[in-house]
Amino acid sequence: MILQVIASMVGTLAFAILFNAPRKEYFFCGVNGGLAWLAYLLFIRAGVGVALASMGATVILTLAARGFSSWRKCPVTVFLITGIFVLVPGAGIYYTAYYLLMNDLAQFSAKGLETFKIAGAIALGIVFGFAIPQRVFNKIGKR
Amino acid sequence: MEESQKILKLAVSIGELMLKSGGEIYRVQDTISLVLQAYGIEDHHVFVVSNGIFATIHEERADRGSMVRNVPLGSVHLEQITELNQLSREIHEGQLSLSEAYERLEYCRRLSQGKTWSRLLAGGMGCVGFGYLYGCRWQECLMAFVLGVILQCFLMVASRAKLSKFIVNILGSALVSVISFGLAALGLVFLQDKVIIGVIILLVPGVALTTSIRELFNGDYLSGCIHLADALMTAACIAVGVGGAVRVFQMFGGAGL
Repeated sequence: MILQVIASMVGTLAFAILFNAPRKEYFFCGVNGGLAWLAYLLFIRAGVGVALASMGATVILTLAARGFSSWRKCPVTVFLITGIFVLVPGAGIYYTAYYLLMNDLAQFSAKGLETFKIAGAIALGIVFGFAIPQRVFNKIGKR
Repeated sequence: MEESQKILKLAVSIGELMLKSGGEIYRVQDTISLVLQAYGIEDHHVFVVSNGIFATIHEERADRGSMVRNVPLGSVHLEQITELNQLSREIHEGQLSLSEAYERLEYCRRLSQGKTWSRLLAGGMGCVGFGYLYGCRWQECLMAFVLGVILQCFLMVASRAKLSKFIVNILGSALVSVISFGLAALGLVFLQDKVIIGVIILLVPGVALTTSIRELFNGDYLSGCIHLADALMTAACIAVGVGGAVRVFQMFGGAGL
């Protein structure tokens, strides 16, 4: 599990470099991605479904990104965009295409729907994450 | 040029650069408004969508002005957004004269895309990280690194050649799939699907998806739809690329599918 979190931090860090994040924020981008994956793993281990786990992890990712953004005085996109990649259903896109081409339509529709469900869950997660008023986060910046 | 026109041009140019490097709609809109207000233009209207900026100032006066910019969807540059955000904050606090602000804008415009080797390495490292998350063992991770570097290399060449984004996504994902299916057929890797998933994360439209959701729920329906369409098209292109490669291997009776 620790290795998994480290891997997710490495992945997020790579995206921070590819998207030219400010150099002094690299580390915090990585931490944010690691946090999101840790949350996802814990949700999965607690027995909730993939979609719900994605949503919960996205809420945590979004809140953490806003916290970092206030603290580091840096737009929230920097942390949100780089961190979201650990949750985005890349595997879903692959398996959907794969089963369609293998003519396994039952698996295709199952994977396709799951991919859309995860994307929707991420959407809801972001919305809930932004529902908390900015005032709460401004306090972090003032300290 | 009149003073008010210079201010308008500064504000819109800052907004344009911000939008191009992936800034959110509300941020761009707020930034332009803030800059205009900071230099004393209270009477203004700004309208921003994903790929364009429209602004007018002083509707009722003789020195009225308006400006339209077409801003194609560009590549994300987070440092540029951060620097421009800082710039607009300083302008808002009244610390910068107009010419100083122009200098800072030029500085932001010149921020580089990063060194080639560091981008290649980042591509490879990212694929290893994500590959591991999706269940790669060490030999697959090694493959993911090599493929990640190859894909990143392809992406950079393609962006220099100004290839269409759709073609890039289809060819990129097909390239990755063909190589890893080929290696699987040769018996060098066993979990070829995990390798592919780890590597195509470089193409997956995470940015477009995130931005589109935030814009839709901010009430910027038009921009949200533009980015959502972008995300869906990109995902479809990846599927087509992977699927095409699978089909080709299927036709030749590739082993282990």
